[in-house]
Amino acid sequence: MTADEAGNGAPAGEVGEVGENVLAELRVLLSRVTGRAQVAFIAPETALFGDGVGLDSLTGTLLLVEVQHRFGVDVAAEDLNLDCLATLATLAVFVSQRLPARDSR
Amino acid sequence: MIKCVVWDIDNTLLAGTYLESGPRPPEPDPELLRVLRELDHRGIVHALASKNPPEAADYVATVTGVPFAAAECGWGRKSDALRRIIDDLGLGAEAVAFVDDDLLERAEVSAALPEVLVLLPEDAADAPSWPEFSPAVITAEGRRRGEMYAQRRRRQQEARAFGGSRDDFLRNAGTQVIIAPADLVDVPRLHELSVRTHQFNTAGAPAGEDELASLHGSAGHRLIAVRLRDRFGDDGIVGGALIDRGEANDSGVPPGPGAARCWTVSLLMMSCRALGRGVLDALLAALCQRAAGDGAGELRIPCLVTDRNVPLRLALVAAGFRASPAAQPGPQPGEPAMFARQLTGPLPLPALPDWATVADWP
Repeated sequence: MTADEAGNGAPAGEVGEVGENVLAELRVLLSRVTGRAQVAFIAPETALFGDGVGLDSLTGTLLLVEVQHRFGVDVAAEDLNLDCLATLATLAVFVSQRLPARDSR
Repeated sequence: MIKCVVWDIDNTLLAGTYLESGPRPPEPDPELLRVLRELDHRGIVHALASKNPPEAADYVATVTGVPFAAAECGWGRKSDALRRIIDDLGLGAEAVAFVDDDLLERAEVSAALPEVLVLLPEDAADAPSWPEFSPAVITAEGRRRGEMYAQRRRRQQEARAFGGSRDDFLRNAGTQVIIAPADLVDVPRLHELSVRTHQFNTAGAPAGEDELASLHGSAGHRLIAVRLRDRFGDDGIVGGALIDRGEANDSGVPPGPGAARCWTVSLLMMSCRALGRGVLDALLAALCQRAAGDGAGELRIPCLVTDRNVPLRLALVAAGFRASPAAQPGPQPGEPAMFARQLTGPLPLPALPDWATVADWP
């Protein structure tokens, strides 16, 4: 399966096979930028702001930098409203749909 | 005091991208060329950190005619390039400024080297007037800013040694964010902030002193000044907001009884020097609470969408604001998006941090 199939075939909010790997990696990135180990175990529907992960503007910017380094996806440029930062699942779907083709071999 | 400025090349020192300009590389940005020469004249050293082949550094040195004490060209992390430059030149990181047009590069350096003064190209264009870049200028204001710079260094040293969370450090430092209606004497400083803030400015255009002064006295508006201090020092006014209380619609008619009123914040701004000190979260929480207390059902903050102000938009999203309409296509870069937040309903108002003090205002 290619990254494109995973992204385009999955209904909004659902995470395909490629998405599972992205989810796992995003959990690691989130626990790194927040400095909280327990964030590595959150459910996909956990909110990234507010009572969920509790991102703020500094940790949120660091997350976007880490996502850019790891996945080559510039979230801030592609989602001007930053709607994809609602939950872990919405971010994973957003990133999965934009993975460069090198991960599809 | 800044002793060395490390510059990005593409779309910073050069008005374009070195590798994507065909046989003839771009010219230097004229305003930054003026800054380069002025700072060089003052004895401040320049260096380059660029994701380009080494020829790009040679080209910049030739075309600007300014000497560069170090040049790091390559595709690694910019924070590593800065570390090597800092080691080579035998400087402290707090004596170094870094200028880059790219948000991700700036954030990466800010996170890895918090002592480095990280600037946008627009900030750097203004830098020759800053005391940090003015070794010979000893004015009262310059001395005061020099002291603030020393305070900043002491604060960062303690923050590094502090084991707890950022919030714990802010409390430990005795941080106070004071949010209150501005006095008329605050207007020049608020005007200056509206000119000098880029990363944390929703409007993207300066607010004139006359305009601010007239809105200061208007019943339908509120002009807010945000002050910051802690046990390391007093930073004075570091932010501001201009509020339209929505008492009358465009035709001057007040909404009828029962009609939902909304507050609109036409300008929200914070100095980049106050980053990481709990100011923005406190200001947004205070605005939500005061708007709700004034009977408004919604708080609106039109915010320009640029790659300059991603941290500001993140703070809005974190405080429960959503850009509307959510429909595609959304706002294009350089256009304002209307960020809005309901003040009644299931989403609780953001909590005011315990280091914030909000004055009563009518």
